[in-house]
Amino acid sequence: MCLYTEPEDLKLAVAAPEKLKPQRQSQLAKGEQKLAYWLLVPTLVVLLAIAFYPLGSVFYSSLTSERFASAADAEFIGLQNYSELLSLTITELPAQVDEATGEVVVDPDTGETQYESPVQVLPREPRRYSEVFTFGWFGSQYVLGASDADFILSIIDTLIFTVATIVLEAIIGLGIALTLNVPFRGRGAMRAAMLVPWAILTAVSSRIWEWMFIDTRAGFFNVVFQKLGLSDGQTPFLADESFQLPAAIIIDVWKTTPFMALLLLAGLALIPSELYEAAEVDGASKWSQFKSVTLPLLKPTLAVALVFRTLDALRVFDLFQIVFAQKKYSMASFAYYELIDSQRLGYSSAASVVIFVMITIFAFIYIKSLGIASD
Amino acid sequence: MAAIEAREVDFTKRRKRKKVWTRIGFWVLIVLIAIFLLFPFYWAINSSLKTEPQLRMTPATFIPRDPGTGDISITLQNYTAAFQNRTFIRAILNSSIVAVSVTVIALVIGSFAGFALGKLRFRGKSPSLYLILSMTMFPQVAVLTGLYAVILNFNIPAIPSMILSYMLFTLPFTVWVLTSFFQQLPTDLLQSAQVDGATPFQSFRMILLPLTAPALVTTGLLAFIAAVNEYLFALTFTTIEPDARTIPVAIALFTGQVARQDPFGEIMAAAVLVTIPLIVLVLIFQKRIIGGLTAGAVKG
Repeated sequence: MCLYTEPEDLKLAVAAPEKLKPQRQSQLAKGEQKLAYWLLVPTLVVLLAIAFYPLGSVFYSSLTSERFASAADAEFIGLQNYSELLSLTITELPAQVDEATGEVVVDPDTGETQYESPVQVLPREPRRYSEVFTFGWFGSQYVLGASDADFILSIIDTLIFTVATIVLEAIIGLGIALTLNVPFRGRGAMRAAMLVPWAILTAVSSRIWEWMFIDTRAGFFNVVFQKLGLSDGQTPFLADESFQLPAAIIIDVWKTTPFMALLLLAGLALIPSELYEAAEVDGASKWSQFKSVTLPLLKPTLAVALVFRTLDALRVFDLFQIVFAQKKYSMASFAYYELIDSQRLGYSSAASVVIFVMITIFAFIYIKSLGIASD
Repeated sequence: MAAIEAREVDFTKRRKRKKVWTRIGFWVLIVLIAIFLLFPFYWAINSSLKTEPQLRMTPATFIPRDPGTGDISITLQNYTAAFQNRTFIRAILNSSIVAVSVTVIALVIGSFAGFALGKLRFRGKSPSLYLILSMTMFPQVAVLTGLYAVILNFNIPAIPSMILSYMLFTLPFTVWVLTSFFQQLPTDLLQSAQVDGATPFQSFRMILLPLTAPALVTTGLLAFIAAVNEYLFALTFTTIEPDARTIPVAIALFTGQVARQDPFGEIMAAAVLVTIPLIVLVLIFQKRIIGGLTAGAVKG
């Protein structure tokens, strides 16, 4: 309820309030509306220039074969980029048959059936498919093939990364928040320490962890693994397929859990202490207090924090590009390398659109479920 | 009678012992959390104080030690090297220019929009709020190719490109947080200013702006840190203009003075050098930052 008015109008209104009211209201409203639009113009112009226009041009170029530094003109190729990015096939791997005996080949040591290699089986027309991964299902062996295995793998990896980091951050963040919610000496110092990982630039933290994960015992993790007898101290954490995602998850959890814990601490501070006192009087144990007071009241804060973290994790770029370069892609780093290294503007745009659509769907669900409290 | 008393003593003893164990457990937990939070940064400091042979020592030492004698030996040569590294110094300058410009522009434009959305009544307010909120979640990578194509076509230098494109993630956030701050301000104050004959712009400048100064500091600081942290656009836009590299890009692509692979001692020194001012800044404003982050995230 804020009314903007010129002083003259105000005097008139005071002199004859009843008679002039409707006219004054509309005039006032008009003035206020006009001012509001003028104040919004700069923001809208900037967003138009750097968000909506480029987004439109990305949609358009995703339908073309445009390349940088290419003499060939960009052609309109419809959805070809998308079908190249997203084509999938699941093919059954036939068992290897010995040509001489006509029997199925079995590994003499393990007794397991040997299957044809995926390369032999996957279709080559209309486009060549390569292996994403193989899996067993009801006694048969299958291969998931994709025309762009790197992109499909980047989607799978980004989704695993997102789910794993969110779950770990929620659990560890909650643990830290509950611990620091107890008053103790040095609590202020701990709160300050929690801001340290948050304040470190992502590029910087990625390089620090890259150094800690280095593949000799000059690196922290190889020293620890060797001391614990888990490895020979030469584990290539960042090059070995089975360690790559766990390493990325640890790095991200370290960087963002404190942020989560700070948000949860703020949420905990809002819970009235009378509720705990009442529960205490009723003889509720600490665990049932946590279950029936803390968790339900913390849920809104937790939900919002998780949603923001999910959106961040889905578009992760810095960490993957710095730590893995092209050894492992996130969705965003895949789009980056297609643009800068392969110079395939059209194809990279299509990958960006896929990412955009995925994130938009998620964000839309989120806004719908929260709603905005506007007057 | 004596038996009961003895049992009671026993009981209180056990309770006391239990209390002691809970206290010990609690402090162990605190120490573990502190190590979890601070260890990687400690490791960076530790490594930055080592010479090349010390860095190659296996197993790595938890404090810089002499490879021969095992005595503690600290070197500052990585820091001297980092200060002599022109790309790195240049990057600090570039980052400062970009981040300060982004912060100022976002605050000026954002406070206009925030005032309109928070205090004025107009048609289309609700869609505008939805638009701003959804823009806070906009994935940068979605417009990467489009922006890069524009920059190449029009030959826009990297630094102005970064300043303008960083509005993508700083402006919606700034508007969103400032809108909620403006909403909380009492309306009476504005009305009495009007009665006193102030124009809307005057009341904005002379009453609202001073009142929102704390909010401006908070959002400005968050915008500043976000701008310093940005990597995707910076890396892409400086591909053909290495002189314009910002701190994250320089740190990611750090090469030593002698061409060799990843000089980690120097990288860690550079990492420590850029992190310390940020940590100091964050610690000074820690209450405000936590408030701002909560307002940005929890305000639904």
